[in-house]
Amino acid sequence: MLKIIIPTIMLMPLTWLSKKNMIWINTTTYSLLISLISLSLLNQPSNNSLNFSLMFFSDPLSAPLLVLTTWLLPLMLMASQHHLSKEPLIRKKLYITMLTMLQTFLIMTFTATELISFYILFEATLVPTLIIITRWGNQTERLNAGLYFLFYTLMGSLPLLVALISIQNLTGSLNFLLIQYWNQALPDSWSNIFLWLACMMAFMVKMPLYGLHLWLPKAHVEAPIAGSMVLAAILLKLGGYGMLRITTMLNPQTSFMAYPFLMLSLWGMIMTSSICLRQTDLKSLIAYSSVSHMALVIVAVLIQTPWSYMGATALMIAHGLTSSMLFCLANSNYERTHSRTMILARGLQTLLPLMAAWWLLASLTNLALPPSINLIGELFVVMSSFSWSNITIILMGANITITALYSLYMLITTQRGKYTHHINSIKPSFTRENALMALHMTPLLLLSLNPKIILGFTY
Amino acid sequence: MNPLIFTTILMTVLLGTMIVMTSSHWLMIWIGFEMNLLAIIPILMKKYNPRTMEASTKYFLTQATASMLLMMAIIINLMHSGQWTITKVFNPTASIIMTSALAMKLGLTPFHFWVPEVTQGISLTSGLILLTWQKLAPMSILYQISPSINLNILLTMAVLSILVGGWGGLNQTQLRKIMAYSSIAHMGWMTAVLVYNPTLTMLNMLIYIMMTLTMFMLFIHSSSTTTLSLSHTWNKTPLTTTLILITLLSMGGLPPLSGFMPKWMIIQELTKNSSIILPTLMAIMALLNLYFYMRLTYSTSLTMFPSTNNMKMKWQFETKRITLLPPLIVMSSLLLPLTPMLSILD
Repeated sequence: MLKIIIPTIMLMPLTWLSKKNMIWINTTTYSLLISLISLSLLNQPSNNSLNFSLMFFSDPLSAPLLVLTTWLLPLMLMASQHHLSKEPLIRKKLYITMLTMLQTFLIMTFTATELISFYILFEATLVPTLIIITRWGNQTERLNAGLYFLFYTLMGSLPLLVALISIQNLTGSLNFLLIQYWNQALPDSWSNIFLWLACMMAFMVKMPLYGLHLWLPKAHVEAPIAGSMVLAAILLKLGGYGMLRITTMLNPQTSFMAYPFLMLSLWGMIMTSSICLRQTDLKSLIAYSSVSHMALVIVAVLIQTPWSYMGATALMIAHGLTSSMLFCLANSNYERTHSRTMILARGLQTLLPLMAAWWLLASLTNLALPPSINLIGELFVVMSSFSWSNITIILMGANITITALYSLYMLITTQRGKYTHHINSIKPSFTRENALMALHMTPLLLLSLNPKIILGFTY
Repeated sequence: MNPLIFTTILMTVLLGTMIVMTSSHWLMIWIGFEMNLLAIIPILMKKYNPRTMEASTKYFLTQATASMLLMMAIIINLMHSGQWTITKVFNPTASIIMTSALAMKLGLTPFHFWVPEVTQGISLTSGLILLTWQKLAPMSILYQISPSINLNILLTMAVLSILVGGWGGLNQTQLRKIMAYSSIAHMGWMTAVLVYNPTLTMLNMLIYIMMTLTMFMLFIHSSSTTTLSLSHTWNKTPLTTTLILITLLSMGGLPPLSGFMPKWMIIQELTKNSSIILPTLMAIMALLNLYFYMRLTYSTSLTMFPSTNNMKMKWQFETKRITLLPPLIVMSSLLLPLTPMLSILD
C-alpha cells in the first residue's frame, strides 16, 4: 500500500517545487499515474487474502473506493484550474497541497486495519476539507457551512472514539483482520445499546442520515468545485464504508436497533427527493440528491443481507462518479454566469451541445437508467429491502419515480427550451471541461460491462 | 526594569518552583510556593498602571489564601501522621483541603474566577509565564499526593472546569482571556486523569505547555492582544496566519495534530477504568473550546476580516526575533505519530 501512499505524499513537494507554468501539468499527470497503480488492487483473490502489512490491507470493499479516491484527485485538479487561475502562485500551491493532504488521509483511511487508526484518519480528513471550504468558498455563508460541517461530524464521532476504545478493552485488539475471526455476539444490555449507538452515529452523521443532514447542503453548496467533488464522491462514502465495517461487530443488537434509522432513511429519501423538485439552486439540488441516494445506502447496510451489501457498495461507487460529474457540470455553469440559480442559465443545449450530451448522460445515470451501475445498486437495494419487508416497495418505488422526476427537471431546465438573452455571450466549453466529463463518464459506462469488481465482498 | 534586578527576580521564581518540585519536606514546599508568589508579583507588574496593579493584587490574594489553606492541610497531616515527609496524605480532611488549595493555585473550577481577570490585566509575556510556568508547581504536588486524593471532589472539579473553560471562552474577543479559559479547560482534562494514571497528567501538561507557549509567542510576534489586531497578521507575516491556524486546531484537539494525543490517551485511560460516560462528556465539552478556536482561525487565517483601507499598508517595523518558535510549532502540531513511544513512560 505504500506504493500508493508515498507517491501521494510526494505530490506535495512536487507542487511546491514546480515552476509556475508546470504546477497543474505536473500534479495532474502524477496523480493520474498514481490512480493507474491503484487499479491493480481491483484484482482481488477470492480467498480475501490481500493483506499488505499489519497496518494496511485491501479487500473487495475498500479497493473500489480506493480506486475512486485516486481517480478523483486528477479530476479535482482539472476542475479547479479555472477558478484558481487568478490567484497568486502560493495560494494555488496551498490549494493543491490541501487536496493532496486530503487524498493521503483518505487513502490511509480506506486501507487502515486498526480501527483507531481508521478513526484518527477519518477525523483528519475534516481539517483539509474545512480549510478548502472556508478559505476558497465563494459566499459569506461558507463560514457557517464550515462550522456546521466540523461540529456535526465531531459530535457524532467523539462517542465513536470512546466506543472503539471500550471495544478494544473488551476484545483485546481492534485490528480488523483479527476481529472478523474473534467475532462473538454482543450480550444484550443497556450499555451495549449505547455502544451500538455510539459506533453508528458518527457514520450516520457522515452519510448523512435524514435528520442529521443539515450540514450537507450548506457544505456542498459553499465549497469550491474540488471541495464539492471530494465531499460528494468520497467523504460521504467514508460513512458508508465505516458502517459496513463496524456492523460486523455489532450483532445482534442491529436487528432491533436499526429500526429507527431505517424508518428515518426510508422517509428521508422521499423527503429529500421531493425537496429537489422545489430547488432553485442547482448545487443545492445535487446536494439533496446525494442525501437521497445515501439514504438508500443506509437502508442497505442496516438490513445486512448479502444482496444489500452488494447494492450498497455498487451504489456508493456509482453515486460517487455521478454526483461528482453533476457538480462539475454545475460548476461549468457557475463559472460562466457566476450564479447557481438554475433558471438563469437555461436552454444551454442550443449554445453548448456537447456539454448537453454530458448533462444528458449524467442525468440518466442519476436516475438509474439501465444498464448503468447506478441501476445495479438501486435494484439490489430495492430487492433486498422488499425481501426484508414487503411494504418498503411502495416507498422505494416512489423514490425512484421522484428521482427520475427531479433529474429530468434539472436536465430540462438547464438544457432545453429557449436560451435567455443574457447568456448568449458565454464562452464555449473548454477541452479541459469536456475531458473532465469524459473521465467521469468513462468509468461509469465501462463498469456496467463488468460490475462484479464493485459489488463488494459478498459477491 | 533594571536587567540585573529582573534576572534576580526571575531566578527567584524559577528557584521557588524548583524547590516545590524537588523537596520532600512539606515546609520547604510551602516556602517554595511563597517564594514563587512573592517573586512573580513584580514580574506581573512590569508595566506600572492600575490595570496590572489590580491583576497582581487579585493574583496575590488568591494565591496567598491558597498557600494558607495548604499550610493548614500540612499541619493537619502533621497532626495525624507525625512527620513532615511527602508521601500520601494521611487524613481525608487534610486531603480535601489540600486539593482545594492546589485547585485554587491552578485555577480549577470553582476557584477559576481569578484566571481570566489576572491574565487580561498583565502583559503578554507575563501572561505566558503565568499560564505555563506557574502551573508546574501545584501540578507536581498533585502528582505526588495523587494516591490519596478524594476522587469525587477531583472529578467534579475537573468536569466543571472543562465546562467553564468551554462556556466562558465563548463570549471573549480578548486573546488573553481566551487563553485563560483554555487554560482552565486544559487543567480540567489534566486533573481528570490524575487518579487513574498520573503519567498522563504530566504528558498533557507537557503538550499543553508547548501549545500555549507557541500561541503566546505567535501573539507576541504580532503584538496582538485582541481578535481584531490578530486578524491583521495576514498583512504583516502571512506565514504566521497558517501557523496560528495549525496551533489553534491542535489546541482544540483535532487529529492528526499533536493536541489530540493527550485527549486520546486520557479517554483511553478513563475507559480502561470502566468510566465511559465521563470521557464522552468531557470530549463533547471540549468541542465548546474548539468553537472559539475556530472563530479565531476564521478571523485570522481563513477569511479576510473587515478592516479599514489603511490597515492594508502597515508600517513594517523590524520583526521581533522569537527564539525557539519553529521547533515549538513543529512539536505542537506533528507529534501524534510518536504516540506508540509513550510506552517508555511505564
